[in-house]
Amino acid sequence: MLQFDRVSLPESAEALRGEVRDFLRRNAEHLSRPNADFTTGHDPEFSRKLGQQGWIGMAWPKRYGGGERSFFERYVVTEELLAAGAPVSAHWIADRQSGNLLLGVGSEAQRERYLPPITRGESYFSIGMSEPGSGSDLASVRTSARRQDDGWVINGTKLWSTDAHRNHYMIALVRTEPPSDNRHAGLSQIIIDLQADGAEIRPIRNMAGGEDFNEVVFDDVWVPADRVVGEPGNGWAQVTSELAYERSGPERFLSAFRVFVELVRAVGEAPEPAQQAAIGRLTAHLLTLRRMSISVAGMLEDGQSPDVEAALVKALGNDFEKLLPEVARLAAPGADADHGRYRRFREAFTDTLLLSPSFTIRGGTREILRGVIARGLGLR
Amino acid sequence: MADHDHMLLDAAERIFADLCDKAALDAAERGEFPLPLWTTLAENGFPTLAMPDSGAELGDAFALIRLAGRYAVPVPLAETLLANRWLGSADGVSSIGRVAGQQVVDVPWGRQAETVLGLDADAGAFVRVSCDPGAADVERGYNLAGEPRDALTIPSGTEWIALSEPALAFLALARACAMAGALERLLALSLQYANEREQFGRPIARFQAIQHNLAVMAGEVAAAQRAADAAVEALQGERFELEVAAAKARVGEAAGVAAEIAHQVHGAMGYTYEHQLHHFTRRAWAWRDEYGGETYWQQRLGAHVAASGADALWPFLATRG
Repeated sequence: MLQFDRVSLPESAEALRGEVRDFLRRNAEHLSRPNADFTTGHDPEFSRKLGQQGWIGMAWPKRYGGGERSFFERYVVTEELLAAGAPVSAHWIADRQSGNLLLGVGSEAQRERYLPPITRGESYFSIGMSEPGSGSDLASVRTSARRQDDGWVINGTKLWSTDAHRNHYMIALVRTEPPSDNRHAGLSQIIIDLQADGAEIRPIRNMAGGEDFNEVVFDDVWVPADRVVGEPGNGWAQVTSELAYERSGPERFLSAFRVFVELVRAVGEAPEPAQQAAIGRLTAHLLTLRRMSISVAGMLEDGQSPDVEAALVKALGNDFEKLLPEVARLAAPGADADHGRYRRFREAFTDTLLLSPSFTIRGGTREILRGVIARGLGLR
Repeated sequence: MADHDHMLLDAAERIFADLCDKAALDAAERGEFPLPLWTTLAENGFPTLAMPDSGAELGDAFALIRLAGRYAVPVPLAETLLANRWLGSADGVSSIGRVAGQQVVDVPWGRQAETVLGLDADAGAFVRVSCDPGAADVERGYNLAGEPRDALTIPSGTEWIALSEPALAFLALARACAMAGALERLLALSLQYANEREQFGRPIARFQAIQHNLAVMAGEVAAAQRAADAAVEALQGERFELEVAAAKARVGEAAGVAAEIAHQVHGAMGYTYEHQLHHFTRRAWAWRDEYGGETYWQQRLGAHVAASGADALWPFLATRG
């Protein structure tokens, strides 16, 4: 049976919460977005300010620019930023994923080169996993890296790479050996400079009208040999071990949070019973999800590998992110209510609903997650 | 939880496993009070576990109630635990119902109780009624799980006793914990059945449609456990009633989903009376509505959140534990 034990955030993390809120009050000009989605607010100036606070790469060693803070302290900073709708997408992947990967399996030279600018909020990374023919079936990637002289030559196409047109690097999952009977063998992760010759980046307009994700075509892009991350051929194991970090954080249940805030504002202090019930229902879900997410953070802090628990929290959290706008919509006051509050609600709702199809797709679809959970339950 | 508490729960689980099998649940539904079970629990001191001087943590009583939910234990254990706590007495079967006019209604096993408390939550008070077990003036009734829910007349001149604790929240928490226990059992039964039942030449657990349903169920059960635990952890805290509201609402929602999937996985077999599944699904359904259903508690929680205003929403959610 999956177990989500009580984990209380330490005093140090709670002390930090007040600092983050003060910081956000002082930097309110960055908080104009109507949604709390972690992929849609790219604001390098804000990222640099966070870097100055020491809030990027917080848990990393000081010799790489990190703060040697706990995973819980990082949790508090990220949830406060998301809840406020802060624009975090520029540094998000570098902070959550790429830097941790380099710390875990990267070379000393890679850590010294890439981590300090990440912590300053100046260096941004994109994920290079999906391809036109490889979505959920990630092991089928065909982008190739071929040895040449003292480097690698990359050919192929990566898809859905968020902010690749604005970021500096991509860590791509590529095939360094031809496919064999073991389809997880022969894959490697490699750092590619997105400004390199032969890399063509095309933003893809999404249904909400935004241009955040991209198609990235590599045509004979040369990469120095020392950019391979970890052992060549070990890419699959490395990619799957990133997932517990990627899947259980507060960004997996807070994407629609601004709609909830605006609902509470719109209904006023003494709402109708049906509005009270809707607000109570969403509150009960959120309190529970957050506790489950913090429980997984506790497992990570303890050095466990809670892949199944993280998948479960993401699956529940993503479903909640889709439930929230629907419940809020039915409970919200109509257009004849206070116009300013109504408009703020509609803006958050519209923006979030149009993003919502992505919630249960990115970072592992609902269907893939249910498969992971089923495996954890002993069903496959 | 200390070692002592684990031993306590282990002892309770052995008793439940021995004495709460399908035959015992069927007999209880026919109206036979399981006296050997009750006597064994009493001899081991379980009904007094929530009394202030029991030496146990109050949370242990709710852990016991959750365990009892996992076995569908057919005695008014939660009510006796709480009645003993509030009255300071410790003899026999007690129960708790709701005051409606001149009656106390919805009393679990009222026909068997020596002492019945009638709660008037709005008035913030109880009436205490002493009874003669088996007396003819008890109106017998049942909830949809076939659990006795009786009605008794309040004798004239009965005194009101003021509440010292938020009684409705305690009772709602008891049901939330019992539901979490029943849901754990539903998941275990469903996983076992899916791995054993074969169709098309393989266990139905191998089919993706079944796997996904069970994954959804596992998510709801995990949420129910965390939500119920969080309210127990808040017992001494200042937002206890709000945490109970969240727990009763969230666990109730999970119960509906889990019961539905459990039946779908079990197919026609789980729809028979002969199968034990319904003892757990019907309790999960019934307990959702006892001591305030989801809507009641959502409204209480929502009213508090709305009154505090939009800017207080996130600070309310971002609790320490």
